[in-house]
This record gives sequence, structure tokens and C-alpha cells, in this order.
Amino acid sequence: MANLTDDKRIKVEKVSFSYSSEDDTAAKPPKKALDGISLQIGKGSYTAITGPNGSGKSTLAKLIDILEMPDEGRIVVFGKDTSSEDSFWDVRRKCSIIFQNPDNQIVGTTVEEDVAFGPENLGVPTAELRERVDKALKDVGLYEYRTRPSSALSGGQKQKLAIAGALAMHPDILIMDESTAMLDPHSRQEVLEIVEAMRIRDELTLITITHDMTEAARCDRILVIKDGRVALEGTPSEVFSQKELIEEMSLVLPVEYSFAYKIAEMSKGTLSAEDLKGRDSLKLACARELKKIKADMVPGTKRKERKAQDEVIMSVKALSYSYDEGKTFAIEDIDLDVHKGEILVLAGRSGCGKTTLITHFNGILKAQKGSVTVNGIDTSDKKNVMKIRQKVGLVFQYPEYQLFDETVYKDICFGLKRWSVPEKEFPDRVDKACKMTGFKTEYLEKSPFDLSGGQQRRAAIAGVLVMEPDILVMDEPGAGLDPTGRKSMFDMISRLRDSGVTVIIVSHNMDDSAIVADRVCYMRRGRIVKVGRPEEMFCGKENEFNIPRPYITEFALEVADLAGIPGYASCGDFTPEGEALALAAYYAGGDHHDR
Amino acid sequence: MIGDITLGRYSNTDSVLHRTDPRVKLLLYVIYLVAIFMVTDPVSLVAMALITTVLVVMSNTRLKMIWLTIKPVLPLAVFIVVINLFTIRTGNILFSKWFIVISDEGLSRAILMGMRLIFLIMITSIFLTLTTTPLKLSDALESLFSWMKVFRFPVHEMAMMMSIALRFIPTLSDETQKIMNAQMSRGADYDTGGFMKRIKGYVTVLVPLFVSSFNRAEDLACAMDARCYRGGVGRTKLNPLKIRRADIVIGIVLALLAVILVVTDRFLGQVII
Repeated sequence: MANLTDDKRIKVEKVSFSYSSEDDTAAKPPKKALDGISLQIGKGSYTAITGPNGSGKSTLAKLIDILEMPDEGRIVVFGKDTSSEDSFWDVRRKCSIIFQNPDNQIVGTTVEEDVAFGPENLGVPTAELRERVDKALKDVGLYEYRTRPSSALSGGQKQKLAIAGALAMHPDILIMDESTAMLDPHSRQEVLEIVEAMRIRDELTLITITHDMTEAARCDRILVIKDGRVALEGTPSEVFSQKELIEEMSLVLPVEYSFAYKIAEMSKGTLSAEDLKGRDSLKLACARELKKIKADMVPGTKRKERKAQDEVIMSVKALSYSYDEGKTFAIEDIDLDVHKGEILVLAGRSGCGKTTLITHFNGILKAQKGSVTVNGIDTSDKKNVMKIRQKVGLVFQYPEYQLFDETVYKDICFGLKRWSVPEKEFPDRVDKACKMTGFKTEYLEKSPFDLSGGQQRRAAIAGVLVMEPDILVMDEPGAGLDPTGRKSMFDMISRLRDSGVTVIIVSHNMDDSAIVADRVCYMRRGRIVKVGRPEEMFCGKENEFNIPRPYITEFALEVADLAGIPGYASCGDFTPEGEALALAAYYAGGDHHDR
Repeated sequence: MIGDITLGRYSNTDSVLHRTDPRVKLLLYVIYLVAIFMVTDPVSLVAMALITTVLVVMSNTRLKMIWLTIKPVLPLAVFIVVINLFTIRTGNILFSKWFIVISDEGLSRAILMGMRLIFLIMITSIFLTLTTTPLKLSDALESLFSWMKVFRFPVHEMAMMMSIALRFIPTLSDETQKIMNAQMSRGADYDTGGFMKRIKGYVTVLVPLFVSSFNRAEDLACAMDARCYRGGVGRTKLNPLKIRRADIVIGIVLALLAVILVVTDRFLGQVII
């Protein structure tokens, strides 16, 4: 890196930056988002910037695009100093950012108008505009949608639209600022493939800011930022060889690396830098190490056996719902029993009808055909509305957006007031809900809008739990959280189940939810494809209904193929370590762990 | 439902009027507006009805769409007719029983006012909402008022604000529905109770909606900045408005029709008087 000349790199030198706010005083200076950070990014490289929430990753992206100016230090982009007036527009027009929230970066009312917005600002003549727009839309595969209203696109399509908008600017640098965080795995893969292909074709410098370590592992180089400084940097193999350091920084290794480390631990082998290079080399290394494992080298696993619950608490019968008077059905002919005390995961791609289905569970949508009953009570019956809504708590996606009251305490109590719960019970109930969600009780008197995103989400969930529902339905509980936040969310879900609450999780991502699920229900285009225990859904090569598996299960299957056991049909508990154990046990032929 | 709110109803078909330059349509709209309020003679009203029918045919809209646009104002039209019919008692009395008195002037006045309202709605939807997308309308306004830039009136900024507002209507209406669902799950009730209670209930929707709109606005401003937006100066357009010969022909023909209508109406009026 050091030998690159200035015009061939983005150079960040001792940059500090803090967001000013109204409560700043000399005694209490604002927290620095970036604190003397120095780094270099080579022209044409593919770099991941990662780190915990609030580490200053996004700020760095804004500084490179001159959306903010550094308090101290200097940034030079391909030989152009960002502090100089002359290079301001030069740098900005050559650098494009795709932001996280698909809705908040679309300006145009129609798809093509939005793509044109950037080049229109540059004053590109109309004939060339048309050419650029059409080409960019073809590049991302949205050409057929060009005259549609932009608001009618799906989340994944909106991000592709944002990419088209960036490509039409003919940038040199493309920054993805957590652009895939809100997408389902399928759309995420599509979006990544598009930008990676464009990077090669247009020789772009691609910078991706992400929590997702598997995504970071695709890059040439990884920069880990913590507390406003670079804490670790190198190629994926260099960074992920520092297992302990990464865990210290409360980051997680990509699952395939954790898996490989576990295999190597059992085989008493080591993984070389070459092995750690990427997914393919890891697979080979795992297969190689697997062959060294004998039956007695696999530690016995104690799997938590969960008693099967048969008592039906909620029953969905022949339920259909149409938003357009029967022309198309959002959900069609749904039959589903929810068992008391289980964690049921409703899975499927975005737009498959999951949210429509759960909105029936507490009677917000009334059944058009069929029925939903909770303990025998019909949820569509107007008389039962309040009773049902107390029994079935619904936490929608991004529940933090529903907070409204002056203080968190008042907000959490909203439901209690609506149900005329005696006021003397409030403090105890709020306290219990806070404990369950991990909300810090010292924040109860704060305004909900002054909290961090993670605490806001806990507060919002507490506002539902405070009603002590029998069934809790959560739509994408982990969406937008960093790995630590996601882990504590799923810990909370396990605690809830242990306390006897029936939990229904809606998710497009199986990686976290398969670990906690008792049963999984997979939906496609408004219909249920298959319901079963996770191992019935995801294990084994056979995949009759083409149900997407957790990433780690997919990886374990590929390793099994390489190791010469193509018929591998077992699986563990869907954690990387558990899957490694299960595969080793199967291979060594010892203690079998079929679930 | 809130989700149904749209700014007028755009009829997604193709027609001569759909293709006509929005500026021409906007000018025609103003001309017809004036004409509707100037004509008074029954013969002119019939002629006006004929012209409107021709326009409906030209706009290639399904009759159902026309009915849907008129339906909401029908009660108002009936109200206006009734008020005029029973309160105007000048002229020859046609009918009189108990307190109901209907005069010929009242009758003609009632018909005139009722027809005016219907024409008004028809003309607005045919020239504007049914055949012109909101985006084109905002383009047309920007172009027609561009002379006001001389007086430092922020014409471009107004048009940009309008088009962004249009862009965010579906997004915000979705969001409103989501927040309402979430609050209803916590026991909120937006359908029962007195007026004040309902208004108070909406606080639980409006506060989150405001907060999120501000956040969105901040994000959007940042995204627009990143895409090199710096106001209207030096901006080009992907779909610039272009006047074609057909636009001029349609404009002149329809404008002439309106003028002839008004002139003959005056003439007819004079003959009668």
C-alpha cells in the first residue's frame, strides 16, 4: 500500500470528526466519531470497512464524499485534497454512496426519473442522459420497470435502483453504506453480485461498510474500525486468523471461519494463511482436516432436548386474504397450528405474505375466507378485539418507529392504560418487561427519541410484553442490528420461551432463527410450502421444495461433498460449532447425533 | 383506508389527451374554467355537455373512472340544486304548495349551478388528474411559471418540493398504516369514541410519523447532496417538455371551441333580452 502514489489511492491522514450537538459544553466535549484515523484505500480495490455500531464507519464514508468535513486531518482522494474548493465537485461527482434505507434515497417519482436525477444535476445533455439511464437500468436488471412508480418496487429492487442511479453518474468510487442490511438473503446476494460485476467492468474502487462478516470476507481487504480508529486491517485471511482479537472487539467471525476453526480444533490441525483465504479454500481445508478426525476425537454433545408440545394454542384454518378484491391473493389457503410454548419461525422471501398472515393473528386484518382462533376464540369477531390483542402481542418490523410518548415509562404503560390495568401494578409490570428485554431501567424517564437504536427497540418490545401476552409475534426482530445486538435479541427470545410464552418469529433470514426454532413454516407466494422441525426442513441433500437453508448448513453440506460423504444427511444445532461437531461425528462414524 | 389516498386518479391508459403537452392542457384547463362560469344559456349548456363528451372520448377513459370522479361530488351537486330550486322565488311561479315554491328562474338557476359543478369536476379530471401524471403537472407548472424567476421566486425549488412530496405520499401512507397497526396491537382504537377522543388517539400515530418524516428528510437531503444536487441552475432533464405540432393544433382547436361557445352564449343572451 505504501508504494502507491497519491493519484492511485484514497488517503486518510489523522482525521478526527465529531457531530456537534446542542448539549455540547467545554466541560463535556462531544464524543469523537473518528479519532485521529489514518488509512489508505487503493484505486480499484475492494475494501470492507467493519466494526461495531457507532464505531464511525459511516462517518468515514461521508468524509470521503465530502458530505462532512474533517475537524482535523486531511483526506486526499486520488490526488485531490477534499478540503480544497477546486476539487470539491470533482471528488463528489466521482464518488457515489448507496445508503442503508432504500426508501430514503429515492428522489424520482418513476424509476427512470430517479436514475436520471444524478446526471441531471451534472447537466448531462438529454440525449446522453437517456443513454446513461437505459444502460444503468439494464446493468442492474430493472429496464423493464423503467416507467413504474419507484415507490412500487420491493426493497431489493429499490437498492438496485439506487445502484443504477450511482452507475449513471459514471463514478470511480462506489461506497455501499450497509446497503444490504435491510434485504433478504436472496436480494442481498443479487445486489452484491451486481456491484462486484460492475467493479470489474468499470474498474471501480468498491468500499463496502458492513456488519456482516461473511460479506466482508468477499473483499480483498478488511479494515476493522473501533472507537474511531483502525483496530485491525489486512486481507480476509490475515484478519480472520486473529480469532481472539476479533472476539475481543465484540465482533463475530464469519460462520464458515468459526466452523473451520472448530474442525481444526478437533483434528488438532492448524489452518494456514492459504486455507483462510476465502470460502473455497476453507472448504478444502475443512475436508482435509475432517479426514484426520477419529471417533474418539469428537467430544460428545449434549443437545438440549425440547419436549414436543402438542397443545394447540392458535389455529389457522383455510385462511385467504386479498388486497385487490380477489384478483390476487396475498395469502391463500393457509392451514397452520401453533403449539403452546414453542418457537415457531415463519420463513420465506420478502413479499411472500408472512406479514399479511401475522396481521390476522390479533384481528387487525379480519379473515376474508377461513378463520384464525386463539384458544378457541375467533380473532375476526369484533367483540373479542381487546381480549385477543392482550393475548397475542404483535411486534412489527422496526418497532422503534412506534414510540411516541414523552418518556419511555409512559410509552411502555400505554397498553396498560388501554386495558385499564390498576395503576399500582404499573411499576412492577414495567420492571418485569424491562428485565426481559434487557432495557436499562435508568433510561425509563428519558425521552424515547434520545435513546440508541438498540435501546429503542427494547423499549418498544417492552411496551408489548408489559401486557403479558400468551403469544408474542415478532416480525424480523434482528433486522438492522449488529451481531452483538442480534445475539442479545435471540437470547431474549429464548428467555421468553423458557418463561412459557409462545413465540412466533417472522424472518427472511434463517441463520439466526434456525438456531432457536422448534418448528419452521416456510412460505412461498402466499402459500405454505412445508412445516416441520428445523432438521426436517434443512438437513440432507434432498430438498424437494427448494427451501433455502441456513448459510452454515449449506457450507457443511459442501464440505461433506468434498470429504467424500455426499450422502451426508445429518445436522447439528445450526451454530457453526454445532454443525462442525455434527459433521465430524458423522464422518468419524462414532456417536451419531441425528436430531 | 389511508392507503387509498391518491392525488386525483390517474387513468393509466393512452390517448391523444394523455400525450398532449401538460402546459397546453393546463392553459386549456384555465380557459375552460373561465368558459364554464361565463356561459348561462341552456343551448350553451347543451353544447358544453357535447364538448365534454368529446373530451371524454378523446381521453380514452373508462366510464367507470368518470363515474368514480363524479360520485363523491354528487351529494354537493344535489344540495346546490335543491337550495337554488327552493330559495329563488323570482320569475313565474311554476309550482306552489304549502311552503314549497318553485319558479322558472329558480329552476334554470338550479340546473345551471348543478351543471357547472359537474362540468368543473369533469374538466379538472379530463385535462389534469386523469390524463396527466403529477410529475408532468409539476414540470408544466415549473415551465409556465419560469418567468417568475426574474423576481427571484424559487420556481424550481417549488417544483422539486412538489415532486418529492408526490414521491413520498405512498411511502408515508404505508408507514401510517404500519404505525396504526402497531398501536392497535397495543390497544389503540381509532374507530370509536367521540371526536376529541379520536383526535387525541391520533397523537400515537402523528408523533412517530413526524419523527420518522424528519429522519427521512435528513437522509434524503444527504442522499441528494451525494448525488450532486445543487439547485436548478445547470440542471438538464431526462424527459424535457416538448411542444409538438399536434399539441398546438389540439390547443388552438379546443381553445377556439371554448371562445366560440362563450361568444355565442353572449349573443344568445342578448337576443333573449
